[in-house]
Amino acid sequence: MKIRTVILGVLAVLAASAAQAQQRRIAGRVTGEGGAAEPLAGASITIVGTTIGAYTGVDGRFSVMAPSGPVTLRARRIGYTAKTVEVPAGQNEVEIALVKDVLQLEAQVITGTATAVSSQNAANAVSVVSGEQLTRVAAPTIDNALQGKVAGAIVSQNSGAPGGGTQIQLRGVSTILGNYSPLYVVDGVIVNNNSINNGLNVISGAARGNYSSSQDQSVNRIADLNPNDIESIQILKGPSASSIYGSKGTNGVIIITTKQGRAGRTNVDFTQRVGRSTLANKLGTRCFKSAQEYADWAADVVGADSPAEIADNIAAYNAAPVKCHDYESEFYSNDQLSYETIASVRGGTQGGTTYFVSGLAKQDNGLAPSDYYKKQSLRVNVGQTIGSRLHLNANSELLHTITQRGVSGNDNNGISPGNIFSATPSFMELRRNADGTFPENPSPLLAGSNPFQNADIIKTPESVFRLLGSASGTLNAYSTERQTVDLTLTGGLDSYADNAKIVSPAYGYTEASAQGALAGTLFNSDANFVNANLNGSVVHRLVMPAFTAQTSAGFRQERRQYTITQITGRGVIFPTVTSVSQAAQTFPNQNQDLVKDFAYYAQEEFFTLQDRLLLTAGVNAERSSNNGDQKKFYTYPKFSASYRVPMLPSFVNELKARLAYGMAGNQPTGGRNTFLTTLLYEGVTGARSSTIKGAENIRPEKATELEGGFDLTVWNSRVRFSATMYRKQIDDLLLQAAIAPSTGFTSQYINGGQIVNRGTELELDATPYERGSFTWVSNTTFSQERGKVTSLPEGVNPFNPGVGSFGTSYGNAWIEPGQSTTVIQSYDGCSIPLPASGRCPTASKIIALVGDANPDYVMGFNNSFTFGHAHLTGLVEWRKGGDVVNLTNNYFDGYNLAADTLTSQKRIADWRTGLPVYVENAGFVKLREITLGYDLPASLTQTLLRGTLQNARLELSGRNLHTWTKYSGYDPEVSNFSNQPLGRMQDVTPYPPSRQFLVSIITSF
Amino acid sequence: MRKYTTALTAGLLLAAACKDNPVVPPVDAPTTNAVSGQLTSAGVKTLALGVLANDRNLVSELSYSKLPEIYARDMYRIDPNEPRYVTETLAGTPDPGSFSGSGGWTNGYVTIRAANTLLAALPNTPASQVSPAQLQATTGLIQTFKALEYYRLLELRDSLGVALQPDNDPNTVGPIVCKAKALDYIAALLDSANTALVAAGGASLPFTPPTGFTKYGRDYTKAANLALFNRGLKGKVDVYRGLQHQSPVAGAFTQAITELSTALGTATPGGVPSSDFKTGLYVTFVAGGTENAANPLSDSRIGVNPKAQAGLQAGDTRASKIIPLAKPISGSGITTDVTFVGSDAGNAANLTNPIAILRDEELVLLRAQAYFEAGQPLNGLADLNSVRTSYGLPALTLADVPTLDAQRNALLYEKRYSLFFEGPQRLVDLRAYGKLKAGVTTPEVASDPFNTAIPIPKTEADARGGRENLTPSCS
Repeated sequence: MKIRTVILGVLAVLAASAAQAQQRRIAGRVTGEGGAAEPLAGASITIVGTTIGAYTGVDGRFSVMAPSGPVTLRARRIGYTAKTVEVPAGQNEVEIALVKDVLQLEAQVITGTATAVSSQNAANAVSVVSGEQLTRVAAPTIDNALQGKVAGAIVSQNSGAPGGGTQIQLRGVSTILGNYSPLYVVDGVIVNNNSINNGLNVISGAARGNYSSSQDQSVNRIADLNPNDIESIQILKGPSASSIYGSKGTNGVIIITTKQGRAGRTNVDFTQRVGRSTLANKLGTRCFKSAQEYADWAADVVGADSPAEIADNIAAYNAAPVKCHDYESEFYSNDQLSYETIASVRGGTQGGTTYFVSGLAKQDNGLAPSDYYKKQSLRVNVGQTIGSRLHLNANSELLHTITQRGVSGNDNNGISPGNIFSATPSFMELRRNADGTFPENPSPLLAGSNPFQNADIIKTPESVFRLLGSASGTLNAYSTERQTVDLTLTGGLDSYADNAKIVSPAYGYTEASAQGALAGTLFNSDANFVNANLNGSVVHRLVMPAFTAQTSAGFRQERRQYTITQITGRGVIFPTVTSVSQAAQTFPNQNQDLVKDFAYYAQEEFFTLQDRLLLTAGVNAERSSNNGDQKKFYTYPKFSASYRVPMLPSFVNELKARLAYGMAGNQPTGGRNTFLTTLLYEGVTGARSSTIKGAENIRPEKATELEGGFDLTVWNSRVRFSATMYRKQIDDLLLQAAIAPSTGFTSQYINGGQIVNRGTELELDATPYERGSFTWVSNTTFSQERGKVTSLPEGVNPFNPGVGSFGTSYGNAWIEPGQSTTVIQSYDGCSIPLPASGRCPTASKIIALVGDANPDYVMGFNNSFTFGHAHLTGLVEWRKGGDVVNLTNNYFDGYNLAADTLTSQKRIADWRTGLPVYVENAGFVKLREITLGYDLPASLTQTLLRGTLQNARLELSGRNLHTWTKYSGYDPEVSNFSNQPLGRMQDVTPYPPSRQFLVSIITSF
Repeated sequence: MRKYTTALTAGLLLAAACKDNPVVPPVDAPTTNAVSGQLTSAGVKTLALGVLANDRNLVSELSYSKLPEIYARDMYRIDPNEPRYVTETLAGTPDPGSFSGSGGWTNGYVTIRAANTLLAALPNTPASQVSPAQLQATTGLIQTFKALEYYRLLELRDSLGVALQPDNDPNTVGPIVCKAKALDYIAALLDSANTALVAAGGASLPFTPPTGFTKYGRDYTKAANLALFNRGLKGKVDVYRGLQHQSPVAGAFTQAITELSTALGTATPGGVPSSDFKTGLYVTFVAGGTENAANPLSDSRIGVNPKAQAGLQAGDTRASKIIPLAKPISGSGITTDVTFVGSDAGNAANLTNPIAILRDEELVLLRAQAYFEAGQPLNGLADLNSVRTSYGLPALTLADVPTLDAQRNALLYEKRYSLFFEGPQRLVDLRAYGKLKAGVTTPEVASDPFNTAIPIPKTEADARGGRENLTPSCS
């Protein structure tokens, strides 16, 4: 209440002190670099030391009323280096030429809901990725497109299945059981990045039962967004920058700014890409060189050792026309073309209406037959200036994605192709018969499962319709030469309907054997999510000769709501029926939630010493219905300072030292209540207390970050080096402390304990060579992070966070004070002399910490070469170290069907003695992106299409073309349980990775 | 003026935002607040069914319904996707951290917690809702089920001991006590429950329990019949008490004979007609739907150990419990071509087969066992033969089984096939008689460790600060 009074008071004072003193008109033109001196529309011109400014029109021209004395003009435009020009008292005409900001030295960095500063002044290491950098090589999803481009971010794909499933982790693991996703904000609107379990479990049985599970290989929904609509992405990596987002800021914030209409001539862009994906890596399988070898194997592994069985096996082998199938190549051989069509129109008039309209149609094919990912989007942005003071902006984007990812990952029904291949001797024929049917898998280890048949008859479509809309109005409520007050109100909506189906006909061999009398499975999931935001802010700028002060205050209201309704049907006999009402048995499930958040914030940014010193202080006070006390406001302060050092040697252009401190939180996602679990007994409801004890006073996790560093620009701004170190401390962790199950409870919600993450991030941007028509631009990022659990609350012993693992035999996550947060626990040796069986009894296996899922460091190397009309860009990502638990090997080893029998059998023998052989180093170097492009010369484009064509470029590009690794699985980037804070590192017969090749034509009219 | 208007608008928006009610009640599930304080008759019913339903959850766990039968070498479960059904049973030891070693524990204690919560709340039930006699009946039922749950936990753990849960204190971790002490605790609990059931007189339960209480020969909604069930269970516990090697309880078998006779309606040795054998209290199952609690034995990966079929005496009609498999199942070095009649997943009726908690045939055999152990072989033979002859086998005479060991073997044969796949009773017997070890039992595979008990799970050990804190206390 008090804040409102203060705001009203400030406004009243400002209104009373109006004074205007404009005496002359300065007119001029802003042009971009290059011989043609192309006029730049939409450049901003300000008179330094005042709030007076103007924008350039289509012809690059502007005019501005200025005081009569000598003034300094600053011209600025996105993508160009700002320039200041002295205009003496008598001069009223000025020409300003801007130079391209190749290294993005001056990108605007968002500091609050409605405020931004130039990255030259920013007190945080905020990474900015431009739309151009993002879409150089078409990526399946936005998060994929960020891989290797941001220091401090580890972006990992969960599998090679089409359509996404990617996790971004900023500055390490910041929670054990809380929300682990960064916050995504699109044009000021918080958008949803949930993963909805799409029911794969009902046919894979990965977690058994009749409902969806965390092993459904689901996709996080930020994948829906269209990367081509993005102007830029800013990444607030930790609480020192993200504190304005309060109890949603711990994991960092990814701020996406979409393309807006721009005054100027109408611009039409059209891009067509065509490509295909191929299997990037194979595991191989054992080849039996003789019938006897197979009979010996069967006797050993299957126990088929009677004379009759041996004779049968020898006959079966001899009868096989192909003695050694390459199942992976046969199966992962979808050779249909993928395509992407992107079109956009952009234009508008200065001071009037601006617009941007774009559309996308895309299809990515998976490696397995009938797997795909399709996306269509239509986006409209309209900007309207009304009078000189009010600007309205509206965005609306309609997206549709449909994904069919097939079956992969862990299963208990013999359905994952990887699982089937690990149990099928390679002379057995699985491909379609001449009559169109599929052979029943003859492997004695399987109940007939044939992946070719499954891929042909099992459908797993997931369709999402999503509407993202926002409208904002900015009112320049008050403006004088020295002061401005702007009011901004933004309302936004993110709403989607996600429908996932699974259809597994009863006649499938896997279905029949796994479901018995109830074969024939249908699953239908309907999820509806609505996020609504309302932000209001007031920004006051005071420009004085000695300082500039920018004060902002406002509120943010958010409402997040969902309903997920899922139903599984078993015993659907007729293969064409897809209505669950035809099922013999049904298993319904519904989840719903509503969260209301409300926050006030205020921030002061103070520039002084000729804009060299920037001091910032801010505070955010937020309440959420997720907290135990739903009415309590938790406060998150921040302070920062940056200083651009003056009087530098001549080769140094800029040196900035910076220091930032901030707090942010992570809301509890449950735990206020001890629920009653209802149990039906013969249809009558019984109830007992849940095994999880609630905590009435549950509160957000509290993250405190101190970040410091410097940015150095030298040699004519051709080299920029940035170094940052941080210490992020998370207290009041949201934990489900394990308690002795003999109490009748297995765990209890609790706040307590502490994690400390420390890290270093380095960025080197350079133009090492620029002569004539040859340019080389290079960006290198390095980040290293160490997270440690420093304490656990009283009464909480070290524990397995239970985020999904397959037991200590293979390796699981483990939380223990003094240890790395991402440590892997497994057996390591036998405490007694090994028995003659070669198997160490489980009770005698020594439990140890044997690995760590976190890489030692991560580097990205991004290099672009331009030679005349030709371009070559390459991005390489290097992760050093980090371990993965490779259970896929255990599948093959257990049946002795790995390609390399010797290594495999040594490995499983070692495992039986208690050694952690399945914990593997998963470091890698990946060639993420490579593009070769050619711009058609102007002489050619101008003659084509009667001169309407402005630019045209041909591109040849590839994604994930090669991986250099010692990891023996498909891909060191893997997560059987999809996105989760810990325990990603489980490799269980995943979808194999693909290489993508694309040919593109990019045109501009 | 416009400036003021703008400022006012902004102010109003802020005020409107503050008005939004920040409180969001949980909508997905009820909380424990819903059953605190005074209980209604409906509340009693809901909480009592919670206890019974969670007992069924324990019975449905693989650790209760399958592993003990696999350890006892009657059952195989061979699953190409889950070799641990063999590698952690007949070919290796269970892992206390996962799968076969981590179960059969929590559910028992969740039932006990549910029972304790209800027992604490029952005195707050107004007489207008539930009469005092009905309250006694309910108390007796819930206490008996609490004892049953401890007994089930002890069947799985034996000499490893069990934890005693403090009755009214959910925040304290109770001590782990040794087998003898646990049996004493269970016996006392059953006696106390019996007192309540007797006090209930002719009263019935104030709610309708599942059909397993009424459908099988005796109406267990009546306190008097629940008392019979209680005595039967007490007799079973006393046989177990008498068999323990460390500290056999003197007079346990004599006491068991008395209790079992009470439970059998004072029938004389051999006097229970075979038509009563199926009479008892059962756990019932429902396939599909939200409840989805199918009989855990209806499972196509289950097989019967071929030795169990080979061990059948000629003419034994219980041979019908073992049927051939359409296709032999093999894996991890074991193979079988026969399965349990109730495991054929192709027969949908198997999904809803009930499982007896205690039925009269078992009581007769338990009494026979107690007679043999108490040195009354003729009485023992009378009970034993009443079972044998009902399955088409000739009666045995003392000349056939002159020694206690021979009597035990004869008894174990009848128990094996009469109670085939009906819970851990065979594991309990083989273990108690020292018949589950190398040199006595043929190993199933070379690495057969002869597991006799399911470990206390790692989660319990971790919460107590390590396995070293699991040593049971007898003091």
